[in-house]
Amino acid sequence: MKRQLSLVVGAEKRLTDILSAAEVVPLLEGAVGAGAAYAALLTPDGEVIWERANHDRIGKVSVAVSVMLEGEPVGRLVVQGESVRNEYLDGIAGILLGAVQGIIGVSLKQVLTAEIHTSVINQSYDELLETNRQLSDSEGRYRELASTLEQKVAERTAELEHAHSRLLQQQKMASVGQLAAGMAHEINNPLGFITSNLHTLQKYAARLILMLDYYSSLLESDPAYARLVQISSRKWQELKLDPICADVAPLIGQSLDGAERVKKIVADLKGFSHIDDSEVGIVDLNAEIDRTLSVLEYRFPPGTDIVKNYRELPGYCCNPAQICQLFFHIIENALEARPERPRLIISTSAGSTAVIVSFADNGPGIPEGIRGRIFDPFFTTKEVGAGTGMGLAVAYDIVTGIGGSVEVACPADGGSIITIMLPLQRKQYVPLL
Amino acid sequence: MIEYDEHERRMVLKLVYYGPALSGKTTNLLRLHDLLAREGRGELMMLDTTDDRTIFFDLLPFFLVAPSGLKIKIKVYTVPGQVRYDATRKAVLQRADGVAFIADSQSTETANNVESFDNLEKNIALVGLDIDKVPLVIQFNKRDLPDTVPEADIQSVWGPTGIPVVMASALEGWGVVETFAKLAEMTYGNIDRRYRLTAEHGLEQRSFVERLTNRSSE
Repeated sequence: MKRQLSLVVGAEKRLTDILSAAEVVPLLEGAVGAGAAYAALLTPDGEVIWERANHDRIGKVSVAVSVMLEGEPVGRLVVQGESVRNEYLDGIAGILLGAVQGIIGVSLKQVLTAEIHTSVINQSYDELLETNRQLSDSEGRYRELASTLEQKVAERTAELEHAHSRLLQQQKMASVGQLAAGMAHEINNPLGFITSNLHTLQKYAARLILMLDYYSSLLESDPAYARLVQISSRKWQELKLDPICADVAPLIGQSLDGAERVKKIVADLKGFSHIDDSEVGIVDLNAEIDRTLSVLEYRFPPGTDIVKNYRELPGYCCNPAQICQLFFHIIENALEARPERPRLIISTSAGSTAVIVSFADNGPGIPEGIRGRIFDPFFTTKEVGAGTGMGLAVAYDIVTGIGGSVEVACPADGGSIITIMLPLQRKQYVPLL
Repeated sequence: MIEYDEHERRMVLKLVYYGPALSGKTTNLLRLHDLLAREGRGELMMLDTTDDRTIFFDLLPFFLVAPSGLKIKIKVYTVPGQVRYDATRKAVLQRADGVAFIADSQSTETANNVESFDNLEKNIALVGLDIDKVPLVIQFNKRDLPDTVPEADIQSVWGPTGIPVVMASALEGWGVVETFAKLAEMTYGNIDRRYRLTAEHGLEQRSFVERLTNRSSE
């Protein structure tokens, strides 16, 4: 970087900046030549700047005049000579001063012109450099943009695809919920009269059996009907009415149990979807896990063993449907780890700042190489078409969306443990979508 | 401030006459030169004018010594008003201690005044000064001409800003010294506390203004 002359228009000049020996000395020589004994230009303090003398003459009388620069006395011209020539000396000093002031005027004008010129040029140069720098910067940005455009487009497209898939997944869950709610309503109505009628039937059947017993005891008490008793007893045996009468009560009881189960399944499905609940509510996480388990029950592989290590939890403020979705995806994933006899240990506990829920399975564990990717959208180890690779991604989104975190561990003795930390203290609840 | 040297006991101030082209900035300085006493002021330097238009600048220097011995030089500059000399205007405006804005009173020139004032605001910021802190006086020049903006209109526009406004005719020689005196007064007021002109150098505001505007007896 070249050093630039730094100028301020108006910077002070000294007398020697304006005048040079080449200009002033000939004038002093002229004064001496014209008859003065001594002529000099001094500073205001009396220091000699330039001087000339004729040693043949004696300077008895001295005349001094001030040299002015921008209104300020900046020097003195001194002329000495013989006493008789006093007026003569004044004249010489006057001419000398006029000449010096004239030179000062011209030189100052030159210096000021040069000064403003240099200042303007420097400024223009600086502005050009700045403009050039800005242009280079912007050119650089465009070049970079052009070279990375393709990659950026690909990145953004992938992001959009992921977002789209997540949205689809969420919508799918929502429509399942809606369907469940609709079905629950439709099923509950017939289920209501089935249950009610079964109860009535149970009562009626008991009365009929009582009446049969009554007839039987009436006939047996009168010997005149012995023949009739014998015939009807044979028919009774033929129709196997003894075991039938004994079977009626359990049959109806079992049907009522079945109807109760249907009712519970429907209620669970509806509850799981939280279709009737508001966006945000306070839920018991243990109950939500149970609800999710009952919805998934029909898909449990043979010999499934669920161990619940629940601790008492404080009410958790969240979007209940989202929390059920979260548990759904994690439990579903854990149970798929083994085709039969899977064992899932679900533990819950609450600290002062968070609720911890962990799911430990007895599957083959997750290979270390892919452990970091299981929450990535579209990542799946299932065969093509078997899984979307969105389940755990959506679970991850839900947890991070409410400010929690997920950890995956694979103990040396097998299986994998997914631990979810759900923060208790949140300033405000932000729905994920 | 161009320079302040405590050791050399020297202070160099810069006052700038700004304004649109042909508003009479150079005429203001010419009149000051004519009207004010020789003592304490230097000669008017007019740099390179073509057809009486300022290309670089004009300079009228003043010099006075405070009772304490502090030498004070006040350099009064004009800037070229023509739009194309913006670089020169910026260079001259650097480190200005006060600005007199010379507006052209003719009603046809209002747009030029506004443009030039915007340019002043922009350039003041560019050279690192604060338009709200730099002493500023506005002179409405050419009051002698017909078809000028009425004084009442001018006062109603500028009155609320608190910026002092002086009516003048530089050609006829009135309002010029008043403008300069007001600018000197405000400039003094702006630097007095920091440089202790009254307290340490025994130079009071009235004396400062009077010595700068000492009229010629000729």
